Amino acid sequence: MLLRYIARRILYVIPQLFGIILVSFLLVKLIPGDPAVMMLGPTASEQSLAALRDKMGYSKPLWQQFTYYIGAAVHGDFGSSWQTTRPVTEDLLQRFPATLELVTFGLLAAIAIGFPLGVAAARLQSGPVHKFAGYYRLVAGAIPDFWLALVLIFVFYTRLGWSAPPLGRIDMAVAPPKTITGSLVIDSLIVGDVGALSSSFGHLVLPVLTLGIVNAGPILKMTQITMTRAFSSEFVRYAEMFGLPRRVVLRQAVRAALPAVVTIISVLYGFLIGGAVLVEIVFSWGGAGQYAVQGVLNADVNPVLGFVVFSAVLSLIIYLVVDLIYFALDPRTRG
Amino acid sequence: MAESTKPILEISELWVTFPAYRAEAIHALKGIDLRIDQGEFVGLVGESGSGKTTLARAVMGFVPPPGRVERGRVLFNGRDLSHLDDDARRAVLGRELAMVIANPRAELNPVIPVGRQISNVAYYHLGMRRAETDRLALNMLRAVRIPDPERRFNAYPHDLSGGMAQRVAIAMALICSPKLVISDDATSGLDVTVQAQVLDLLQRMVGEKGAAALFITRDIAITAHFCSRIAIIYAGEIVELAETAAFFERPAHPYSIMLLAAFSHSPALRARWTRVPSDGETATTGGCTFAPRCVRRQNRCVVEAPTLRQLTGGRRVRCHFPVESDTA
Amino acid sequence: MSALLEVQNLVKLFPVSGSRKVVQAVNGVDFAINRGETLALVGESGSGKTTVGRAVVGLIEATAGEIWFDGKRMGRGRNIRSSELRGRIQLVFQEPAESLDPRIRVGETLGEPLRYLGLSRADRDARVRDVVSQLGLAERVVDQFPLELSAGQQQCVGIGRAIITKPEFIVLDEPTSALDPTARAEIVDLLIRLQRDLGTAYLFISHDLSTVRFLSHRIAVFYLGMIVEEAESEELFARPLHPYSAALLASVLLPDPKLKQAKTIMLEGEIPSPIDLPSGCPLAGRCPFADAQCRVALPPATAVGPAHYVRCYHHDRVAALDQTVDHFARLQADMNKLLSAGAN
Repeated sequence: MLLRYIARRILYVIPQLFGIILVSFLLVKLIPGDPAVMMLGPTASEQSLAALRDKMGYSKPLWQQFTYYIGAAVHGDFGSSWQTTRPVTEDLLQRFPATLELVTFGLLAAIAIGFPLGVAAARLQSGPVHKFAGYYRLVAGAIPDFWLALVLIFVFYTRLGWSAPPLGRIDMAVAPPKTITGSLVIDSLIVGDVGALSSSFGHLVLPVLTLGIVNAGPILKMTQITMTRAFSSEFVRYAEMFGLPRRVVLRQAVRAALPAVVTIISVLYGFLIGGAVLVEIVFSWGGAGQYAVQGVLNADVNPVLGFVVFSAVLSLIIYLVVDLIYFALDPRTRG
Repeated sequence: MAESTKPILEISELWVTFPAYRAEAIHALKGIDLRIDQGEFVGLVGESGSGKTTLARAVMGFVPPPGRVERGRVLFNGRDLSHLDDDARRAVLGRELAMVIANPRAELNPVIPVGRQISNVAYYHLGMRRAETDRLALNMLRAVRIPDPERRFNAYPHDLSGGMAQRVAIAMALICSPKLVISDDATSGLDVTVQAQVLDLLQRMVGEKGAAALFITRDIAITAHFCSRIAIIYAGEIVELAETAAFFERPAHPYSIMLLAAFSHSPALRARWTRVPSDGETATTGGCTFAPRCVRRQNRCVVEAPTLRQLTGGRRVRCHFPVESDTA
Repeated sequence: MSALLEVQNLVKLFPVSGSRKVVQAVNGVDFAINRGETLALVGESGSGKTTVGRAVVGLIEATAGEIWFDGKRMGRGRNIRSSELRGRIQLVFQEPAESLDPRIRVGETLGEPLRYLGLSRADRDARVRDVVSQLGLAERVVDQFPLELSAGQQQCVGIGRAIITKPEFIVLDEPTSALDPTARAEIVDLLIRLQRDLGTAYLFISHDLSTVRFLSHRIAVFYLGMIVEEAESEELFARPLHPYSAALLASVLLPDPKLKQAKTIMLEGEIPSPIDLPSGCPLAGRCPFADAQCRVALPPATAVGPAHYVRCYHHDRVAALDQTVDHFARLQADMNKLLSAGAN
C-alpha cells in the first residue's frame, strides 16, 4: 500500500512539473531585456540581431518555443547559457551540489539552534531561557541574511582573523577531493583527505552559521508553539496521571510536536534552495542560486528555466519525503 | 466501630479555592471530609459545578492552576500526595492510585499503540522488562474482555470504539493493581449496554484485587448498584453521607431527594421538592448554600450554615431539618 | 385521521471514501406519527436513529423510500427549508451550547425563525416574550447571551426557538443527553406541557430509556438501521418481545438497589459495523436464541398485540423469560411513596 502511494506521488510529479515549467516559461519570457542585444552588444546591427534571434529561435511563436523546450528537456537538454557558453545541465550539475551542501548544513545548524531552544522555552514558561528565546524570535525574523553574513565576515575574518576568507568553498591552493556526493566536506571525509577537509570545512563555517542563525528563528517559533500545545494536550496530562516519569512524558510530547516542526523545516528547505542566493553571493559560493540570478540579470533564459526545473524537482522530492516521515510519525494519517 | 485498618483515603477539611479577577474567590471545595476504607466502594454524586471533578483532581494532587488547596489535606494511604516531591508522587500515581476518566479516547496518546500504552504503565512502575510488561498488558486486554486482544494490542486509539477505549483505560488503571481506583464519570457517553458491561467489569476486577473504589458520577443510579456508601456533593460541600441501602430507603437531605425526584414521572411530586429561587436570590454568606432551592427552609437556614452531623444509623447530613427526623 | 408523518421503507446508504463499500445506516424503516403524538426512536450508537431523524426533515436525502408529511411527499426539493413547510417542522439538537450562537442575544436567537416567516419586529418581540414565559424563564433572559445561562436553560432556549413558529412537528435529537438529571426532568416536563398546549407531534430520538418511557406514546427500538420492535410505551417496558429490547431494558440502571435487573438476556460482544451487513436478522451474531433461519432470512414484522410489532422468529422465547416484572413501574410506585412524605 505504501509503495502504491509512493508510485502515485511520483506519477503526480509529471503534471506538476509540466505546470511549473509552463508558468515559469511564460514568466521568464516577460523578463525585460533582449538577449540578442545583450549578447552582441548595443552597437550590433539590426541584421545581425535578427539573424541571432532567428538562430536562437526567439522569432518563432511562443508555443513552438515551448514545445521545443519541453522536447529537449525530456532528454535532459536544457539548452545552453550564452553567458557561460556551456550547456545549462552541465552548469547546474556543477553548481547544485554547492548550494545543496550550503543549504543542508545551514538548515542542520538552524535546527540545532532552534529546536532545543524551542523545546526549552516551551518547558520553562519563565526564566532567562524563555526570555532569550522570545528576543531571538523577534530579532531573527528581522535580520537580513546578507547583512549578518557581512557582519560575521567582518568580525571573524577581518578583525579576528579566525575564519577563512569568504572566497568560495575551498582554498584556491588546495585541490578538491574526488567528487562522490558533491559535498566537499563529506567527500573529503570519505576519501580521508585531511587538508581538503579542514579547508572546505573552514570555508563552510561562516555561511552555515549565517544561514543557521537566521533560519533558526522560524524553527524555534514553530517548535515552541507546538511543544507548548503538546504539553497542555490531554494525552500529556493523562500520562502524568499515570505517574509516567518526566523524561518519558517529554519524549511523548516531542514526538507529538514533531510533525509540525518537520513541515516547517521542509518549507524552509524548499525556500532556501533559491533563497540562499544572497549568502551565496557574499561568500562567492558558486552555487546554483547565484547562477540563476545572473541569468535573470542577463536575460539569459535557459539557466533560469533550468534552475526552476531542478529546484522544483528537488522540492517535490523533499515534500514526498516529508509526507513519508509524517506517515511514520503519525498513524492517524495512514489509510 | 474500631478502625483496625488504616483508611486508604482520608480527606480532612479540604478547601480548594480559585481566585477570581476583581471579585471574591470561588470556593470549589468547602471543607470536604471523606474517608474510604480499604476495599470499600464509595459513590460521590453531584451535578455539574458541584466540585466533584475538582475533588478527583485534588485527590490525585493535581489541582489545576490557578486553583489551589487553601486548607485541609488529602492523605492517601497515610501520605499527603501534594507534599511529596514530583518523583515520589509519580511513583504513587498509576501504581497505587489510578483514575479512569470519561471519553479516554481523546486522552490516550494518538501515536502509540494502545497495548504499548498499557505496557508503559507497568514498565515504568514495576521495574520489569519490556517483554514481560507487554505480556502483562496483553493479559489485561483479555481480562477486560476486549474482542480480538492480540490484534487490538497494536491498534491505535482512533481505531477503537468508545467502549473499547474505555476498556483500554481500565486496563491501564488496573495493571499495577492499585489500592484505590477513582472513576471520574467513566461511563458517561457510553451506550447503555456498554455501560452495564464496563461497570460490571470494574466492579469485578477491582473487587478481585481487594482494592477500593471511588465512583464519581452524575448518575445516582450507578451508585445504587455498585457502592456500599454514598456521598452527595452540592456546591463544594458534602451534604449527605450514608450507607447505600439506607440512603435509597429514605434519603434525608432535601437535595438528595430532589436528585432522586428527577427520576419520577410525576411533575407534581417533583415540583413538591423543587423550589425555584426568586430572581437574583442567592445563598447568603453564613447561611446554608442550598437554602435558595430548598423546600424545607426555615429562617434558621438562611442565617446559620448547618454542619455535617451524625444522625441515627451512622448517617451524616448537612441540614438543620433533614427529612428523617420527621418520621414518627 | 391520516397520520401527520408517514415513513415507508426508508433506506439511507453512505458511501465509504476510497472503496466501493457502503455504510448501511438505515435499512428499510417504516413508521407513522399522528398529530399531537410522541414517537420515540431508541437505540445505541450505530443504530441509525439519528440518520432517520435527519432524513425525515430533509436535512439529508434518502437513498430510497418515501416520506409523507401532511399527505404530501417530501424529498426532491420539498423539505424543511421549503417555503410552504417553513415553520411547520422544527428541529432541536443535542448540545444546547453548540446550537446557539454565542454572540447573539437570546431574544434575537429566539426570534430568528420568525424573520423567515415575514413577521414584523414588533410581532416578533411579542411572540418572543410569550415563548419566554411559556418556557418558564425570567423575562430578562431575552437580553442575555447563551453563555450566561445554565445548560438546562440553554436547552430551553433551543426548544423555545423550535416552538416559536408553532410547528406541527418537532424532531428532537437527544435533547437531554448532555444535561444533569434534574435539568433533564425539567426539560421533559416542559416538552409535555408544550405538547399539551400546542398539540405538536414529536419524534424523540434518545438512548435514555427512563426519559423515553415517560414522554412517549409509542416507542420504536432500533438496531443496525432497522426497527426491531415497536409498541406503546408501557407495553414495551412491561412486555419486551425482541431479545435486543429485552437486553436494552435489562441494562438500564435504576436508582434503587433493590431493583436489580435480572440478567436474563446477555448479548455477546459489541454492535458490529454497519458496513457489509450480512443478510438475515441484524442481531443474529450476538443473540442467544439465533438459529440458522435467523442468519439467512430477515424476520418480517409480526404483530403480537394491538400496535405491537416485533421482528423476531423467537419472540415467544423472549416472552417466556421472567421479564414480567416491570421494574420501571415499580420504581415509579416507590418514588411516589418516597416523595409524598416529608416536604413542608
